[in-house]
Amino acid sequence: MRVADSQVFNTLFGNMQRTRSRILVAQEQISSQKRLLKPSDDPSSFGQVLAGRTELSRNEQWSRNIQFGRQRLELADGTLTQVTTLLIRVKELTVQAASGTTTAEQRATVAQEVRQLHRHLMQLANTELNGQRIFSGTKTDVAPYVLTAGDTVIYQGNGERHVVEVGEGQTIDDTMPGNQVFSGPTANLFDSLRDLLASLEGNNQAGIEAGIGSLDQAMAQINNAQGQVGALVNRMDVAGEWIARATELVTRTISDHEDADLAKAISDLSRHELALEATNATLSRMFTTSLLNFLR
Amino acid sequence: MNLTSLFDIGKSALSAAQRRTMVTGHNIANVNTPGYSRQEAILQENRPLNDQPGQVGSGVQVAEIRQQINQVVEDSLRRSSSALGTFDAAWSWLLRVQDSVGTSGEQGLGATINEFFRAWQDVSTNPADLTARTVLLSRANTLALHFNRTATDLDRQRQGLDAEIDQAITDINGLAAKIAGLNQEISLAESRGQQANDLRDQRRQLLGALSEQIGISTTEDSTGQVTVFAGKGHLLVDRERAYQLAGVADAGNSGLLDVHYIGSGGATVDLTSSIGEGRLKGLLDVRDQHIPAAQGSLDTLAAAMVTRINQQHRAGFGLDGSTGQDFFSAAGVTARTMAVALTDGRAAAASGTAAGVPGNNANAIALAGLQSQTLATLGGQTFNQYFNSTVTTIGTAAESAQRNLDAQEIVHEHLEARRAEISGVSIDEELVQMIQSQRAFQAASRVILVADEMLQTLLTLKR
Repeated sequence: MRVADSQVFNTLFGNMQRTRSRILVAQEQISSQKRLLKPSDDPSSFGQVLAGRTELSRNEQWSRNIQFGRQRLELADGTLTQVTTLLIRVKELTVQAASGTTTAEQRATVAQEVRQLHRHLMQLANTELNGQRIFSGTKTDVAPYVLTAGDTVIYQGNGERHVVEVGEGQTIDDTMPGNQVFSGPTANLFDSLRDLLASLEGNNQAGIEAGIGSLDQAMAQINNAQGQVGALVNRMDVAGEWIARATELVTRTISDHEDADLAKAISDLSRHELALEATNATLSRMFTTSLLNFLR
Repeated sequence: MNLTSLFDIGKSALSAAQRRTMVTGHNIANVNTPGYSRQEAILQENRPLNDQPGQVGSGVQVAEIRQQINQVVEDSLRRSSSALGTFDAAWSWLLRVQDSVGTSGEQGLGATINEFFRAWQDVSTNPADLTARTVLLSRANTLALHFNRTATDLDRQRQGLDAEIDQAITDINGLAAKIAGLNQEISLAESRGQQANDLRDQRRQLLGALSEQIGISTTEDSTGQVTVFAGKGHLLVDRERAYQLAGVADAGNSGLLDVHYIGSGGATVDLTSSIGEGRLKGLLDVRDQHIPAAQGSLDTLAAAMVTRINQQHRAGFGLDGSTGQDFFSAAGVTARTMAVALTDGRAAAASGTAAGVPGNNANAIALAGLQSQTLATLGGQTFNQYFNSTVTTIGTAAESAQRNLDAQEIVHEHLEARRAEISGVSIDEELVQMIQSQRAFQAASRVILVADEMLQTLLTLKR
């Protein structure tokens, strides 16, 4: 076989170029720590990464929805705890007032405090978060309870529930309409207190005693509502844990597809650098053996 | 038979050695000239003289200065150049196309779609919150702009390709004209019994450059002229005559250029679909196949998003009580024209009922849920899946162009090595030849000296 000079040069040059471009790829991988920089690097993996990113984005959003939902439910829970405390105080006062030794004047004094508590209960039921009422169903822009003639309070909200999405097609309520908590199916707290007030001011012992019974019903209803709120928070926590697990899984899948194997990239780099050095050494040696050096 | 013929033998040897050294010198001089083919002085005995007891030789002559060429290797190299041209043009442009269509990072269209649906989720969790609605409109505008910009980018790339196609046509015409000119020079020189080696090298170089631009086939006739065919048997060079290609704007293809062939008598033929190889083919493929396919996919996606989202949006109620409104402008059902119709966040129809405003979020949840809905118009895929497969399609095209290019480069290098083995100059070999010729020259001059001495001896006999 003849060996022409250009053949030697071109072969060495071609190998040098290829080695250089492999070094560049390895360096890119090391500096970016990514194996996939553009779709053509590995189209099917790239498709997986894009799908994974959509998954991640949705999971992040569901976690965010849960945060919002929990915020509302926790506020409702705290509010209901205060309502319970308030009802206990009313019951204490009512039990005192129900005693046969209590005078009409003393009952009138109790009535004053109960009226304060009645107004305070209304404030609690009108609790808002960022300007939005949490007990008015989806009528979040209006105060659910307003005082009308006498001590009568009426409900202005609706019975709809606001939900948040916590997963593919999964929603969880994050509010309870007031007409299922305060003016609910078994007891209307405001009516009970109004009637109690009338009995106290009217010095009506039988009415006051009946009021104790309806207070017990009211407390049971609040307890029940708080239990429901707790269950919703719990469901959100479970959904949150599930999302965290799914996120971990998707993150790992994305990483498997797009992250560079650093150990391999670094060993590739040194291997190719060695090859380049050898090629360079060959190039400078190649022509020391030329016939030219022997013709003097 | 006399002594003068001994002088003639010596003279022929001197001149042959000298000529051979000149060829060697020419080879060494062109060791690095691209496309140069090694030449060799072919020595031949002169016609012998009849004599008693037999024929006596009459010296040496350089019969021919022959190029070392293997036509099979040359033809393979030319075909390989065409393939290289195709893959190189396709690859470098497909890289740009895939850059426009899809990146995996935070700025890609896929990420923008994700952000858009997240904004709907935020509206659903806080339907009465104006900030969430403002963010929604801003995300929707970003989405529409992203579609618009990608469509514009792809259009601009088609224009860029068109300019390169125009340039390639000009280059092809220039090369064809030069080849026709060389055909003439070569046949003229060779009709006088010369070997037009260096002109042939030039023509071979030009044919190589031409085959890089467009796939060609060639035949050489007895007068040394080549005939060049391109695009399924159309004569590009016929002896001293070159035919032209012309770029003709095609109104049916956004005014982009078709490649027309202008035959004898000025009759034109549209060659666009018959160009099988070369840079021109690579450029045409990306311009007329890959980019329009990507544009079509993006248009389909934009249309599906606009139609489906509008349909759901019309079913809901805004904070301002509005209903039956389009979210995206119904007229903009292509990637280029997609636009947000709503200007006031309050009109975003999050509520499923008129009575449920402001806290009802049933329609916002339904809208956010569209992200995971598969659509028949998208081949049973979701918006994101359809976009991903669009990116994957372009990525696969770019990947396969790159693989083909890498493989073809290796094939091409092997062929060039093969060509160098046959036609390349080896300095060592030339030096050996030079020493040989020098020795022959020295010996021949000795022959002349001896002949002279013999003649002297004869002349002194007379005294």
